[in-house]
Amino acid sequence: MQTPDPISKPITIAGHWNFEYRYFAGAVASRFFNEIKINRRIMGTRVPSTGRVLVPARSFCDASYERTGEWVEVGPEGTLDIFTIVAAKFPGLPDPPFVMGYVTLDGADTAVLNYVRGVDLTDIEAAGNKLMAKPRVRAIFSDVREGRITDFHFELIAPI
Amino acid sequence: MRDPVAIIGVGQTTYRRRHVERNTAELVRDAVEAALTDAQIDSDAIGVIVGGVAPDALAGINHIDMASISRPGVPYFRVNTGGATGSSAFLAAMSWIASGRCDVALVVAVERMGYATTAQAVFNSIFDPIYEKDISISTISMIAMRATMLMQEYGYTTDHWASLAAKNSLASQNNDTLENPRLFDKAQVLASPILSWPIRTLEACPMSEGVCVAVLASEKFVGARRAAWVLGTGAFSDAYAMGDRIRRPEGSLVELLTLRRSAEKAYREAGIANPSEVIDCVEIQAPFASAEAMAYSALGLCEAKNGPAFLDRLLEGRTRALVNPSGGPQAANPVSATALIRIVECALQVRGLAGKRQLDGVRHAVATGQGGATQFSTAVVLGSNRP
Repeated sequence: MQTPDPISKPITIAGHWNFEYRYFAGAVASRFFNEIKINRRIMGTRVPSTGRVLVPARSFCDASYERTGEWVEVGPEGTLDIFTIVAAKFPGLPDPPFVMGYVTLDGADTAVLNYVRGVDLTDIEAAGNKLMAKPRVRAIFSDVREGRITDFHFELIAPI
Repeated sequence: MRDPVAIIGVGQTTYRRRHVERNTAELVRDAVEAALTDAQIDSDAIGVIVGGVAPDALAGINHIDMASISRPGVPYFRVNTGGATGSSAFLAAMSWIASGRCDVALVVAVERMGYATTAQAVFNSIFDPIYEKDISISTISMIAMRATMLMQEYGYTTDHWASLAAKNSLASQNNDTLENPRLFDKAQVLASPILSWPIRTLEACPMSEGVCVAVLASEKFVGARRAAWVLGTGAFSDAYAMGDRIRRPEGSLVELLTLRRSAEKAYREAGIANPSEVIDCVEIQAPFASAEAMAYSALGLCEAKNGPAFLDRLLEGRTRALVNPSGGPQAANPVSATALIRIVECALQVRGLAGKRQLDGVRHAVATGQGGATQFSTAVVLGSNRP
């Protein structure tokens, strides 16, 4: 086999792209998080013409562009609509396994994404098949809350 | 459509995990040269270049298109709609011709993700940093959650996903744009590790790089060239977050309203009343089996509730339309280019130039584009005959 010519060896240069930010939540999401942080409750916003309650709270209806009006308390119980069990390690993301899913809280018409904790994941295939039944879940608030979506997570109300 | 537009040339690099012999501008030049040769034109005929590049952070360079696509002396702009970038750029280029601004447009879609060492962390950064990014959602978990909804709503099974992945893997063996296409069967998919339940490792598209180029021309410029005519197009958008549209009154998340509306508009423009009886070839921009299955009913190939039965017939080769003869994005999914590749594959099919993957007598083909968390869809119907 021919020895590679060192002059034509491909060169790659190591780099990083880790800028820091402070993400401004906006008026509506700020209130959504402050309600969780201060009052331990999840609030949505109502679309006046249709009555739909949007959770997480939005300042306008995504479909009609109509401004939302009153704030409505929802949950803390709801239904796990769709989910996945992340089972592989991806660089830069949390260690597996864990469950995330969209939950429609009681009184809401849209679904919020969060972790679902406390599920037995020793057999992921079995856990996945059980979670397909759209189990009931409850929002559990952290003791220390900092005003972000991870101030709460979901747990199954009854074991599966 | 009032002023027909046609694809008169295509050019592609190979698609592979990582290109190690060429930098991005060099890859682009290779594909552009091939496209101009195919179109039988010189570069001075080009009236506009539209670049397609999705998230910059995949390449680690802001606006890699400035360094690799834009050319001196030619108008240039870039389009980014995530996975639909390539087809959105195609539609933008087409509108330049249709409005009379130029006769020839070059669409160049580039993916350079092979050197990203934390691709799924980059994909996490496309989600809302206020409400969703903290839950470590990525494109894989996003698609896995829609897969569970398809299974709940319509009765699809993990066997379906594995069988379809195997079918696409088999088809990809005929695709000469792929370097080292993977070959596996259903049992191997089911035996591969769980990535993000219900998705298994062999069902996921591989990381892929490459450049895809299409040359579009006005009717009067086409002349005697072998053309793929654009018979109809559609493009629709939806809300950013999946949870906001999980059960809209007009349709659920997995009814894929964006693609349904895009396809309906494209068929209407093409004068196609019953797509399941007219379309010969379909290229679906779906990097996972479940995402492909979600598109069948949106494309009018079956009723949503009959999706699993349609998939069963497709797996047995008993459908009129053949889906993803290239192997589709499950074989190679260079994110920024993948939706343009679907159009280019359809163009090769209707022009009869698809080599080993050529189907017999393709007169009508439809290509889809899908971007964001199904936020953006496009549909492009191509035909062998001048409209």
